Amino acid sequence: MPDLDFLLTIGALALVAYGCRVGGYLMMRFVRATPRVQAALAAVPLAAMIGIVTPTMMSGRIPEAAGLVMVAIVMRLTGSELAAAVAGTAVVALGRHWGF
Amino acid sequence: MSAAESGNLPDRVRFTRDGIRRGFLTAQPLAVSVLLYGAVFGVLAGESGLGLWHAALMSLLIYSGSAQLTALQIGVTTALLPQLIAAVVLLNARYLLFGAALRPWLSWVRPWQAYATLFFNGDTSWALSMKRYAGGERDAGFVFGSGAAMFAPWLVGTLIGHQAASWVPDPKALGLDFMLAGFAGAIGVGAWRGRVDLAPAIAAAVTSIICWRWLPSGWHIVGAGVAGALVAAWRYPSAEIGSEAD
Repeated sequence: MPDLDFLLTIGALALVAYGCRVGGYLMMRFVRATPRVQAALAAVPLAAMIGIVTPTMMSGRIPEAAGLVMVAIVMRLTGSELAAAVAGTAVVALGRHWGF
Repeated sequence: MSAAESGNLPDRVRFTRDGIRRGFLTAQPLAVSVLLYGAVFGVLAGESGLGLWHAALMSLLIYSGSAQLTALQIGVTTALLPQLIAAVVLLNARYLLFGAALRPWLSWVRPWQAYATLFFNGDTSWALSMKRYAGGERDAGFVFGSGAAMFAPWLVGTLIGHQAASWVPDPKALGLDFMLAGFAGAIGVGAWRGRVDLAPAIAAAVTSIICWRWLPSGWHIVGAGVAGALVAAWRYPSAEIGSEAD
């Protein structure tokens, strides 16, 4: 079984992680959701996803770049996130296999 | 709460069993990727010497892949707690934005429903929910259901990955480390609403690259989200005219 030191560490990290999840929600109690604020929030999903993809794009490696292109193509064709991600991952695996 | 108590629910916001079921079922394709991502964490946890129950407890309580993977790299012990907490705050700061974006939806349901929903909130289920909200979905149960659908796959994936650590020699050869970026890219392509998104997207990309280059790990996601939101707010009245954006 996990020891006390590990449990204390995990407990603290769990509190911090949940604090982040709840914190933004609580902050909005003091900010009025005007149409301008709504427009700002509506832009966040795409912007955050761009942020997540940035390190992969900036790595400049061919398999990852080709994988992202494949993701965009399959997403446009099928509208399925899973199909797009799996196709992109397959491209990355093949690219690495071939030594790019 | 005051508006909820007066019975004046905006846009028919509610929290129903049917909404939970719909969210749970709609999110199933995402659950497959969460299972794989959980397995990646499980493999890496096993390789770093953590026991099965240690890895399972991390997935159960922290429930954040990026934070857990970073914690593995730093080392899970109270002696390293300051670095660990700083890293988890950095990596999970994006949830401040995600939670704020859910405010117009969750502020009209009961507090325990809102706080339970926020616990299960994840990157992909959140993005899925926001897409549905833009499409007219107003049942907050959908957010809860789609988030909760990620919980069991994340835990089971962790257990499978830990067990498989001995016979999956190299997760990178399978491209599994690309899975998160692949999903984020797919969700981004799906979230594209048209011209109204162009300026915020450019701002997000530029800010993200700058933060990624010169700031500690994790800030590039926060920076992208904040930049996109600020540019959208700045351009708000003019950009909405003549666009299909809701």
